[in-house]
Order: sequence, then structure tokens, then C-alpha cells
Amino acid sequence: MKALPLSEPVLLVLLSLSDRPRHGYSILKDVEQISRGRVVLSTGTLYGALHRLLAQAWIERYGQGDGSRDSRAYRLTSRGRQNLQWEIARMKDLARLASLRLAHKEA
Amino acid sequence: MLRMYRGLLQLYPAAYRREFMEEMLRVCEQAQKDLVGLPFTARAAFYVREIAGLLAGAAHEHLTTILEVDFCPVRSRDMKPQYRFPRSTVGLMLVILAGVLLAIEQAKGIQVKYAPGGHVSAVWSTLPQFATWVLALVCLAGFAGWAILFALGRSGVQRLSNLSTEVVAEIKR
Repeated sequence: MKALPLSEPVLLVLLSLSDRPRHGYSILKDVEQISRGRVVLSTGTLYGALHRLLAQAWIERYGQGDGSRDSRAYRLTSRGRQNLQWEIARMKDLARLASLRLAHKEA
Repeated sequence: MLRMYRGLLQLYPAAYRREFMEEMLRVCEQAQKDLVGLPFTARAAFYVREIAGLLAGAAHEHLTTILEVDFCPVRSRDMKPQYRFPRSTVGLMLVILAGVLLAIEQAKGIQVKYAPGGHVSAVWSTLPQFATWVLALVCLAGFAGWAILFALGRSGVQRLSNLSTEVVAEIKR
């Protein structure tokens, strides 16, 4: 597994889908909320990210009750969840190293 | 806005439109409803963001389809092998540099021979020799490039040979 960091929109979309399946508009709003308004995705950016994540099988479509395209929801696959967990572990490790280095510098 | 949005969506590849167009329209419509009561700057930022997102997204999808390279991958970019120059490029560039320097020296020689005092005479008499040198240099550079490709096993003949072998193997299967 190559531990390259995820791009920020992708990370936020995956985080948004980590608790429950969501449709496009819900993802847009949730990303804005979890980033505290710092990241506001356009629909073009959102669906570009969803397209790539679908292609890599990190997410999948979920529950199309009436079969209409505008009611589609997306959810994480086990592969997507695993990649998200790896990314979080990578970020934790980086934060730990940074804290250690800063503490060492201050001591 | 939605009419313009729908028009900009036409810039996307057909397969992408079939997959996401209606859904994107619906999401944009919902997001637009949130703008009611917001100041002009917030609405303008929304429109600019949406238009820029669509233009960038359409360009990305077309480039990805045509070149089969994802310019905006899921993971952050690193220096992928397909973006690196092959090592043979260094050799080829040195050959071209040598050719350019040689051409400059030859040009100086021509100037000293035909216009020693700095007086420029008619060029027609030197043209055949100049053209011969240029042709020779182009042939030399071409040969050097071919030699590098041949040494790397990537010349056209070698690729065709590999292709033929693969096709025969496929047919035998």
C-alpha cells in the first residue's frame, strides 16, 4: 500500500460517508459543516470526486428505491473504509511526530 | 442559472452526462435555494465556484478520457513514472546541443570566409553549403535518436516485432 496522502476533497467526502450513506446535496452540506465552513465544494468538484471513488470501488451506490437518478445515495465500501482508516492512521502518526519534534525543540 | 448550468454540463463527455447530469442538476438546484437571503457576495461566490467547478471538471474528464491519465487522482500527486523524462532524453539533448554549437561554429566560419570585414554579401552562394550542413545535422540528430531508441529496445521495428509476437501468441491461444 502506497501511503500517499488523500486529497482534501476526497478525504472530506469519505469522512462524510463514514457514518451513513448520503446523497450528493447531503455530502455537500456535511463537508462544509465538518470543515467548519473552510471547504465548500462545488457540484463539479463533488461529482468529479464521486466519479473517481466509484471507479476505484471506494464507494458504491446505495438504495435507489424508486430507481430515479436524483435520489441516489452513496456509501463507503469496505475498501474505502480501509483506505480512510489508513489515512487517519497516517495523519495521527504525522501529528505524533510533529508533537514530539516540537516538544523536543521547546525542552 | 440552472439553464446556464445545464448548458455547461453539455461540455462533459456523453457517458459522464448520462451518469451524473440529472443528479448534478438536482443538487445545484437545492444548493441554489440555500442562497435566498444571502448577501450578493455570497451568491456571486456560489456562481463563480459552480462555473469554475464545471469547467475544470469537464476539462478533467475529457483529458482523462483522451490521455488515459488521471490528472486529479484520489491520492495527492507524486512524481509518477509517466511524468518523468526517460534517461535517454539527457543523451538526446546533449546531441542536439552539440549540433547547435557546431552549427554556430560553422556559421562563424562562413562569415569569416565570405564576409571577413563584417560586410554581408549575398547569401545565395552559401545557401547550398548551409542547406547541406543543416541536412547533415538533422540526419545526425535523427540517427542519434534512433540509435538511443534501438539501444533501449524501443525502435519502431522492435515494437512491431514485439506486437507481432503477441498477436501470434494470442492467435495460438
